[in-house]
Amino acid sequence: MKARSDERRATSWAAPLLILAALLPASLNAQASQGTAGTYFLRGGTVVTMTGQRLAGANVLIQNGKIAGVGANVQAPAGATTIDAAGKFVYPGMIDSQTDMGLSEIGSVAATQDVTELGTYNPHMKALTAVNPSSELIAVSRVNGVTTVITAPSGGMISGQAALIHLDGWTQDEMAVKPVAGYIINYPRSGGGGGRGGRGGGGGEPEGDAAARTAQQIAELREYLTRAKDYDRVRDGGSRTLDIQLEGLRPLFSGEAPAIVMADNKEQIEGAFKLADDFGIKIVISGGDEGYKVASELARRGVPVILGSIQSAPAADVPYDAVFANPGVLHRAGVKIAFSTGDGSNARHVPYHAALATAYGLPLDAAMQALTINPAQIWGVADRVGTIEIGKIADVFVTSGDPLDIRSIVSEVFIDGKRIKFDDRHTRLYEKYNARPKKN
Amino acid sequence: MRMNRVYGKLGGWRAFVLLVGILANGLAGAGAQAQNIAIRGATILTVTRGTIQNGTVLIQNGKITAVGTNVNIPAGTRIVDGTGKYIMPGIIDAHSHLGMDTGLNEGAESVTPEVKIEVRADALNIYRALAGGTTTLNVLHGSANVVGGQAALVKLKWGTTPDEMLIDDAPRIVKFALGENPKRSNSTPQAGQERRFPATRMGVEQTLRWWFTEAQKYKKGWTDYNQAVKTDKTALMPRRDLRLEALSDIIDGKIWVHAHSYREDEIMMLMKVAEDFGFRIKTFQHVLEGYKVADEIAKHGAGASTFADMWAYKMEAWDAIPHNATLMARRGVNVSMNSDSDERVRRLYQEAAIAIKYGGATEEEALRMITINPAWQMGIDQRTGSIEVGKDGDVAIFNGHPFAPASRVEMTIIEGKVYFDRDQAMTLEKLLRTLVTTTDGVLP
Repeated sequence: MKARSDERRATSWAAPLLILAALLPASLNAQASQGTAGTYFLRGGTVVTMTGQRLAGANVLIQNGKIAGVGANVQAPAGATTIDAAGKFVYPGMIDSQTDMGLSEIGSVAATQDVTELGTYNPHMKALTAVNPSSELIAVSRVNGVTTVITAPSGGMISGQAALIHLDGWTQDEMAVKPVAGYIINYPRSGGGGGRGGRGGGGGEPEGDAAARTAQQIAELREYLTRAKDYDRVRDGGSRTLDIQLEGLRPLFSGEAPAIVMADNKEQIEGAFKLADDFGIKIVISGGDEGYKVASELARRGVPVILGSIQSAPAADVPYDAVFANPGVLHRAGVKIAFSTGDGSNARHVPYHAALATAYGLPLDAAMQALTINPAQIWGVADRVGTIEIGKIADVFVTSGDPLDIRSIVSEVFIDGKRIKFDDRHTRLYEKYNARPKKN
Repeated sequence: MRMNRVYGKLGGWRAFVLLVGILANGLAGAGAQAQNIAIRGATILTVTRGTIQNGTVLIQNGKITAVGTNVNIPAGTRIVDGTGKYIMPGIIDAHSHLGMDTGLNEGAESVTPEVKIEVRADALNIYRALAGGTTTLNVLHGSANVVGGQAALVKLKWGTTPDEMLIDDAPRIVKFALGENPKRSNSTPQAGQERRFPATRMGVEQTLRWWFTEAQKYKKGWTDYNQAVKTDKTALMPRRDLRLEALSDIIDGKIWVHAHSYREDEIMMLMKVAEDFGFRIKTFQHVLEGYKVADEIAKHGAGASTFADMWAYKMEAWDAIPHNATLMARRGVNVSMNSDSDERVRRLYQEAAIAIKYGGATEEEALRMITINPAWQMGIDQRTGSIEVGKDGDVAIFNGHPFAPASRVEMTIIEGKVYFDRDQAMTLEKLLRTLVTTTDGVLP
């Protein structure tokens, strides 16, 4: 009975609370707005196209969602919204090549988690299905110039299909740049150790047992892929019997989408090479902590590496700067690299992951490439995003300085040609409490 | 997920353990040599006395004895060429668990101020923190308990002993914790175990009030005894209780409180409890909603030691914003950026720069957040935290401005001794050059 009266009291309180809520400024309640389409003229900035050009005093024209003009001679058409970029820098939008954006809202609140499905083999799980376009993390991330991310499921042996998404759109379909960007495969690893790549080794398990278990897992993974490839062949031959799981993997065998193999150590990466050879599939390594040990082979094969979070501690038995210096080693060996945070709440800081690598051997321009054109190429969308060129999707941001410098302030972001309003959860809370009257 | 990524990297390339170990240990041995040292021709970020171009810092017998553009360097002084380099005070982290090995919490009970931390002097992560310019830590217990144990304030004199790392005459600090962690919101008791009291923020408050009331009685018992025994030699001495003694010391201001906190309501609650019992909170830790009650925190006189930008990892971090540090600083709160992580402690200079980006802190304000401000929070600001004559010779030398991309730490010095020197350190590049014949030909 007591609970009931409490409930009633709660109800009687609700009405005044609702009225109070209505009185708050609208922006405090509202979710971030979607971008606004239009014709935009960014005037007089230094345009870093990421095609090797750095155009001082140049204009960028954005029209119908595309980049319609770049250069000092480009003029603003009638009706264009002009944005003064003089003294500022214009870059193509940055890409975080692995996150769980839109799939995870509040880490410890299970109800907000759609990252990890039950089961071991889930090639048919599609990240795009569960991307919440209203996630507060999306709006917070994009205002630092991160316009595009890979959002990926995790867990099991094959976690599912990662999607390349824009950080703007009314629906997840509008957000999708490439709905199936790749398949997350967690390559088994033996021995202890973390890194985010691969399935964790058994803690405290005797070494021999761990090795045997890992060998068993690898055999199972290969058997599954064999079955999937057989299925693919039978379907090519005209079979109409559907297996929804295996059907989901067919783009892997047709080469439309790569396997994103989560692999940190040398043995895992070499195991991934073998998958590529034996099953005729394209692979991308994600993690790649020990990439420096196989850099020449990665380069020779043309296998790109999505670096795991640079904000990670190195293993106990490698030099203190191993995580910071690995990207530079890979770059110099000729490996195509890209950066990732692995984490939606941290995605806006992906340029500062790259900055750490520049302190330990990665050239500054190579770092910017690894945030723009490289991932565009890795994800097979370089014809649409990754540079500032006429005809490309207008993913562009304006900043006061080097995007790798934390002190630089981003002032404008365009995604798919739409101008982004800077009204995310964080700016709203900041403005609200910054305006709190001084309490003495 | 985030924490696993941060902490859990072990195993791997065993062949290199020995080599890395030898180099790192060799360096620590060399670092133990006391010497007078001068860094010449650098940009000096003093933090408290502005920036000096083309200046020299002279450290003698462990103390800074001269700072400026016109410094006489006595014969026999080791000279470090600072051309093109930046010198800042050794970085101070007011929230760390480094070197505690395992067992961050004395978690069976919720009030345990009598326990104390000892830090391993040989922890590898000490060396890695030094490589990020960090010289000084406040090593705190975990946050499972409403009242945790007593912290260890250490300088990272790697390869010495736990006792040598302790800072002489540093204040005693105790960790408190509020919110989800002490009420155990995010942990499930094992089968057959009951939940531990408290389970709500109300219970956290009453836990504090109950124990401090007991401590007041205990204190009175001793006061009465000490009075009585002057005239009555047969007066009965109270039973000594280490827990209540520690709580009494907190009331008396002999032990300072650093309180893990998130939400504004619990911050307000703790300030009120402390004021009711006649003491003050020295520093709120994490304090992610501190920006909502910054005026109240400033009035109470507490500092705030926060994350640069961590949010959305749990419910009480849902209103966390990266502007927190600057908002609090602007309302008069002493603010520091902490790591709470053996990973972030290697790049606190990056974390500090976040305060410039969000909320518009000046570069000097941001530098203060990882130097003199945490020093104040730990009560060691008279001896470290800025580059001033008379202070300890604790400095970090960068190859560029600490906040610029491509900047890294070249050398870290504590009390005039070099504990990290990149020229001497094993780096990935050196390793690859050394081992080119044994790997599969990877050489950039």
